[in-house]
Amino acid sequence: MRSIIETRGLTKVFGSNGTAVHALRGIDLTVTAGEFVALVGPSGSGKSTLMAIIGCLDSPTGGSYALDGTSVEGLSGAALARIRNEKIGFIFQSYNLLPKASIARNVELPLLYAGIGRKERRKRALELLEKVGIPEKANVLPGVLSGGQRQRVAIARALANKPALLLADEPTGALDSKTGEEVLALFKELHKQGNSVVLVTHDPHIASLAERRVELRDGLIVSDVSEKQAA
Amino acid sequence: MFSGAFRERLAGSWVEIRENLGRSTLQTLGVILGVASVLGGFSISDSQRRRSDERWMKLGGMDRLNVQPSEAIRDGQPTALQAANLGLRNEDASEGSDLDAKAVSGVMQQKFARARVRSPYADQDRQLTGIGGDYMALNGYAIEKGRAFASEDFENGRPVAILGAEAAATFFPTGDAVGQTVRLGDIPVTIIGTFTEKIFRWRDGQGNQFAWRNRIVAVPSTLVATRMQGDRWQRVDRVAFRIRDLGAMKKFSEGLAAILRGNHRQQEDFRIDDIAARIRKRQSQGDVYNMIFMLSGVLSLIGGGMVNVNIQMATLKERVREVGVKMAIGASGREVFKEFMTEALLLTGLGALAGFAGGIAFSKIITSFLQIKLYMQPSSFAWAFVLAAAFGFLFALYPAWKASRLSPMEALRYE
Repeated sequence: MRSIIETRGLTKVFGSNGTAVHALRGIDLTVTAGEFVALVGPSGSGKSTLMAIIGCLDSPTGGSYALDGTSVEGLSGAALARIRNEKIGFIFQSYNLLPKASIARNVELPLLYAGIGRKERRKRALELLEKVGIPEKANVLPGVLSGGQRQRVAIARALANKPALLLADEPTGALDSKTGEEVLALFKELHKQGNSVVLVTHDPHIASLAERRVELRDGLIVSDVSEKQAA
Repeated sequence: MFSGAFRERLAGSWVEIRENLGRSTLQTLGVILGVASVLGGFSISDSQRRRSDERWMKLGGMDRLNVQPSEAIRDGQPTALQAANLGLRNEDASEGSDLDAKAVSGVMQQKFARARVRSPYADQDRQLTGIGGDYMALNGYAIEKGRAFASEDFENGRPVAILGAEAAATFFPTGDAVGQTVRLGDIPVTIIGTFTEKIFRWRDGQGNQFAWRNRIVAVPSTLVATRMQGDRWQRVDRVAFRIRDLGAMKKFSEGLAAILRGNHRQQEDFRIDDIAARIRKRQSQGDVYNMIFMLSGVLSLIGGGMVNVNIQMATLKERVREVGVKMAIGASGREVFKEFMTEALLLTGLGALAGFAGGIAFSKIITSFLQIKLYMQPSSFAWAFVLAAAFGFLFALYPAWKASRLSPMEALRYE
């Protein structure tokens, strides 16, 4: 199986000597293509830091990390931006849509940064909105959408460049339980279609939906359970 | 660029500007004032300069190159060459105009004499002006009644005369001067025409600066030379060339000096107008004002630019998260930099357009207040725009650079 994420002895230290905070103390994690992994742990466990590093938003202090077979150590800011653009689809708790751009433009943005032409962008954006179930909202601004709809737009945007990895940070954290379930169902659907998903959450119920659960505590992986093993 | 990224940036910038109209207006204020000040200042000083050019033309002409006789003998006895010298004469005028037929659009000679002028109504001692060539055109005289001198009048020195408005009124107060005869000294001369009255006032209500020009009693210069002074060399008191192009005039005056020296046995017994000084005078006029206006424009551009940087830095705080999101979905620092620069430059461009409107209004008001005609040059617009663009670019660099250097992680977490 092709591994999407492969980290060895990953460490992250914030601050310097006296006030140093060791957020990660050596993470060895491998995620293969097509897996649905929940990253769980209480706040301060280092899961957000790990997610940032996996998402190439931050670089580790030590250890190695390869994303989809490419080592990301020592890459320039521009190269990392390119990797984020091509390989990773981010989904945030607070959606993070651009409020002044239409839904279609929001979805198009990763395609724009990938250098894809206007007509193709628009076509792909409409397809993606169709896929997440809100094709009729293409030309409205994010402000008029409900939370669930906004998160669907964010998912469509994350899928735009057919990324190797979908990285979701508490994607249902700001939604009521019913819409939350709907969004999670969408994640399961995407997983079924073959997408690799890493979902960061502190909610054990949501984590139970994933086929594999990785639990962090104080910067270390304390448990890594696959459903198949458990069963 | 090929994916229409620039267009997208432009569209995005436009949305940003439109959504924050108040802030954007504040940001462009410096540009508007700077452009208005440079454009308005330049235009006002151009208008002023043009008016002064027009006055110059009326008062004798920027385009006239005068040659006058001058005393060659400084002290002591004249040398044989000096004594035998012939002075300025008709030949100098014709050879001069042959020198550069393209540049010279007119040439005249002038020769003065004094004589008793007698008509049935008046008897006065007057200066006679012997004229030749394009004297009328070069001095702005026009025929009111009768006719101008014909070439035979000049060639043969015929006894004919044209009177200025004042002279006509003096010698023929009944108003029927044309066709009458006056005596200039002993020579009976026929009046063939009268000149239109010449009027020039610095301001309304002031005296006519050209009153003396209406006193003219004009006869062919050849008449003065042959019949009144018996000069077979046909010497003249002044030769003038009309050369429209001030640039060509400098070269012409140098060539002319060489020819005249040759004709005058290497004696500097003539004086040609100092063209270099004239060009300097014309150019320095207004240059000072242009400098002042440009300085005040630049100062307001700098002041506005600093305000702009402040606003940009403050709004950057609001937009950190947006930058973070863009970076997370794949915008490089370079892309963020370009987006910020596009927005700032679009703002500068719009500000410059508003500044043009301001500058036009500003110079219209001032020139109408000064009662001069507004004259605007494309180069003033270009100057104002280039300055605004340069300063807009310069002051956009820092905020855009700051934005591009944000860490995506910290930007995303920023609240």
